[in-house]
Amino acid sequence: MLKKEIKYRNPLTNLGYEHEDILPNGGFGAILAHAGVGKTALLVQIALNTMIREESALHLSLQDAVSKVDVWYQELFQNIAGKFSDAEAQEYWDKIQPYRFIMTFRVESFSAANFEERLTDLMQQNIFKPHTVLIDGLKFDEAGRGQMVLLKELAKKYSMRVWFTVHEHRNEAPAENGLPVSFLHVADLFDVMVQLEAKGDEVYINSLKGKSSSAKPHTLRLDPATMLIKSVK
Amino acid sequence: MKMDEQKIRNIGISAHIDSGKTTLTERILFYTKRIHAIHDVKGKDGVGATMDSMELEKERGITIASAATYCEWNGHEINIIDTPGHVDFTIEVERSLRVLDGAILVLCAVGGVQSQSITVDMQMKRYKVPCIAFINKCDRSGANPFRVIGQLKSKLGHNAVAMQIPIGLENEAEGVVDLVAMKALYFDGDNGEIIRTEEIPQKYREEAKAKRDELIDAASLFSDELTEAILEEKAITPELLYAAVRKGTLQRGITPVYMGSAYKNKAIQPLLDGVTRLLPCPSEVENVALDMEKNEEPVILKNDPDLPIVALAFKLEDGQYGQLTYIRVYQGTVAKGSTIVNIRNGKKVKVGRVARMHADQMEEVEYLQAGYIGALFGIECSSGDTFVSQGINLTMTSMYVPKPVISLAIVPKDNKSQMAMSKALNRFSKEDPTFKTFVDPETNETIIEGMGELHLDIYVERMKREYNAEVTTGNPRVAYRETITQRADFNYTHKKQTGGSGQFGRIAGYLEPISDAEFVFENKIFGGAIPTQYIPACEKGFKQSMEKGPKLEFPITGVKVVINDGASHSVDSSDMAFQAAARGAFKEAYLRAKPVIHEPIMKVVVETPPEFQGPVMGLLNQRRGMIVGSQDEGVLCSIEAQMPLAEMFGFSTVLRSSTQGKAQFTMEFAHYRQVPQSIAEKIALEVAQNKKSAA
Repeated sequence: MLKKEIKYRNPLTNLGYEHEDILPNGGFGAILAHAGVGKTALLVQIALNTMIREESALHLSLQDAVSKVDVWYQELFQNIAGKFSDAEAQEYWDKIQPYRFIMTFRVESFSAANFEERLTDLMQQNIFKPHTVLIDGLKFDEAGRGQMVLLKELAKKYSMRVWFTVHEHRNEAPAENGLPVSFLHVADLFDVMVQLEAKGDEVYINSLKGKSSSAKPHTLRLDPATMLIKSVK
Repeated sequence: MKMDEQKIRNIGISAHIDSGKTTLTERILFYTKRIHAIHDVKGKDGVGATMDSMELEKERGITIASAATYCEWNGHEINIIDTPGHVDFTIEVERSLRVLDGAILVLCAVGGVQSQSITVDMQMKRYKVPCIAFINKCDRSGANPFRVIGQLKSKLGHNAVAMQIPIGLENEAEGVVDLVAMKALYFDGDNGEIIRTEEIPQKYREEAKAKRDELIDAASLFSDELTEAILEEKAITPELLYAAVRKGTLQRGITPVYMGSAYKNKAIQPLLDGVTRLLPCPSEVENVALDMEKNEEPVILKNDPDLPIVALAFKLEDGQYGQLTYIRVYQGTVAKGSTIVNIRNGKKVKVGRVARMHADQMEEVEYLQAGYIGALFGIECSSGDTFVSQGINLTMTSMYVPKPVISLAIVPKDNKSQMAMSKALNRFSKEDPTFKTFVDPETNETIIEGMGELHLDIYVERMKREYNAEVTTGNPRVAYRETITQRADFNYTHKKQTGGSGQFGRIAGYLEPISDAEFVFENKIFGGAIPTQYIPACEKGFKQSMEKGPKLEFPITGVKVVINDGASHSVDSSDMAFQAAARGAFKEAYLRAKPVIHEPIMKVVVETPPEFQGPVMGLLNQRRGMIVGSQDEGVLCSIEAQMPLAEMFGFSTVLRSSTQGKAQFTMEFAHYRQVPQSIAEKIALEVAQNKKSAA
């Protein structure tokens, strides 16, 4: 039941990304938004939708501690599981939690090589083999295209799908195509892009690239308190 | 005894194990002239640090029980409780924090915010204890105090601001720059007792200015005068800045950070200045008691020596002067010869000798006023008891006490040891509410229970050393529990006719699982199918059944019992008959309610150099652990996992050997979780074998 609820509330499938993985093997997805609009919350929802399919999600944070990332999951999950009994929610959480692994890096020590080293530590001992990787807090202007190309190769090598959060700077005017200038040099590596936008008290999620169904709406409204979908616009 | 309440500071020193708090306390006592020589923890002189009064503490180089002491600095009286660092002893930390007004959070300049610091910080939050931080070991290789300040912000959510910057680090650590006075401080003399104040060296000036601006910026949120001074570009006086930082500290809105090296005698005196300037005096902290006569309505206590007494016994010790009860007086004055009442049992007690403690030496005084910490002699009570004046009925809020998760059977070697052991156990269980003891009625063994392997280990050692009780220990046992997973109906009749009046009782209803309580009993009988006077007996019978599961004999939790029908007999029904009927009904339904075993799951955090990350994860994985995540912290990396306690025995040895002794771990109880089927079968087999061997 809870699985259905999480699936039903998946903002991306509601937006018209129909394939349940959304990204192909080795594919990149981006969530673009200004600071504080809800990039991490959406990333966690993508992870939850991976975990309920009993596929492994590796959450890699370059900004928060493990305990803080865990709080994001607890909150999002509790919000979705609100109408279920505590026991039922706990039981389901215990079932899907093993499909999540949180890894944190300090921004300055993160590189594709370091990541691969840590990843092989996990995979060689059969501890964790990620199906989807969620990278939160990477600074695209500083990382450079080279690192992103290496990450892409890594994603292909280990058949992973990788989601990134992309920080749009408020003081930076976007490029002609609406994308942040600091992201343009790597934008072609991405298969899917969605954008979160705060308008007044509301948050909207817009599909920018890679949508598979044109029948679905182009924009969805999210509840800013829970970051779950509110209604179709 | 001087009595200016504004000049009292009751503080604790809390931190992760091995971050140097006992060494720090030693230096504080030296600079405040309470001791006249410095002895190091695990020191070569064999004397040991002053606060580590227990033999065992001296030997292991760790602080087990908090010892209290007081000292004077700049006309202020500082009561210090030295608290243990290991997570197994957190009840001591909790109790200390309960009675303190402020704390120094000691952090290692290399290790930074480690797992135990997070636990201690959570406890400080729970009791709203304002704190200042001290980043110790700045002389160590890899020291980086600003990385630690960053961790204070990111990991603990503190608004940490530096009050100083270091002049040199690692083996070049020379002193600190005071960002309030904007002066360089150096610590000369054999023990750093001579403070030399100089102008800030040229190469540190820019950094000092930038960090001072950060400090002023953070402090200005708490002071309009300071904001005004900034806007009007007036000179910012030290008084103005300290007042703003103090206000922020008391609200827990700011954490001032001092730094230095206790071991190398660097920058301890400025920390003491910080304690007197920034931490609260007793009247600045709100203490709440509960009024027992008004349904536990909260009552705010006044730090007034003339009001009726309210004092809390927060620690007991059996020392060379007999039983010592450490108390914190919240209101009134506890004087020699006065009569106080123990609110728990209503017993009146006459106060004999009153003392202030300095580790294991005492200093007798006439009275202890509100705001003071001291000790009473020869008073029988338990830890956590509240003492009041006659005629009032207030109790201090009860302290959170976690349940034990591990047990160990102990057998005395001879009769003499048996006597000593029971004396020791009686004392320990009074001193430490997380330490429990009982005799297993089936095996006749004495069982001790506690919060971890080391916790029990220490008590076994203390039994030998302090009470001469030689005991042998069995294997540690995990405190498993049973619970049910589905509803099951019962309809049971207890009938016995063995001559004379018989026994008759029928109970019908159902059991169902609940998650938020251990046991709930609901009576849904209408029309008197079971007469009202037998309902408590029914409840008692079900409750008795919860003590031991019918098959595996672990305590049962999370069961709701609903009774909705039954029958009685005018002659043969009795309390006893209905108790027996309830036990029978429970047994009948229990196995149909699909019982499962739950085991304690521990939150384990391993801190290891990054090169051992892979092997450590492997070790955790082999032990049925679920790795929650791994965190990169530069020189160290910490791995957080949820581990079944049953798999953690002997883990420290394995961890040490796999990491060349470079990794360490902490462990604390997280929650109970159902054991996998294969393990449940193993446990059932073990239980059966134990039963066989006991028989």
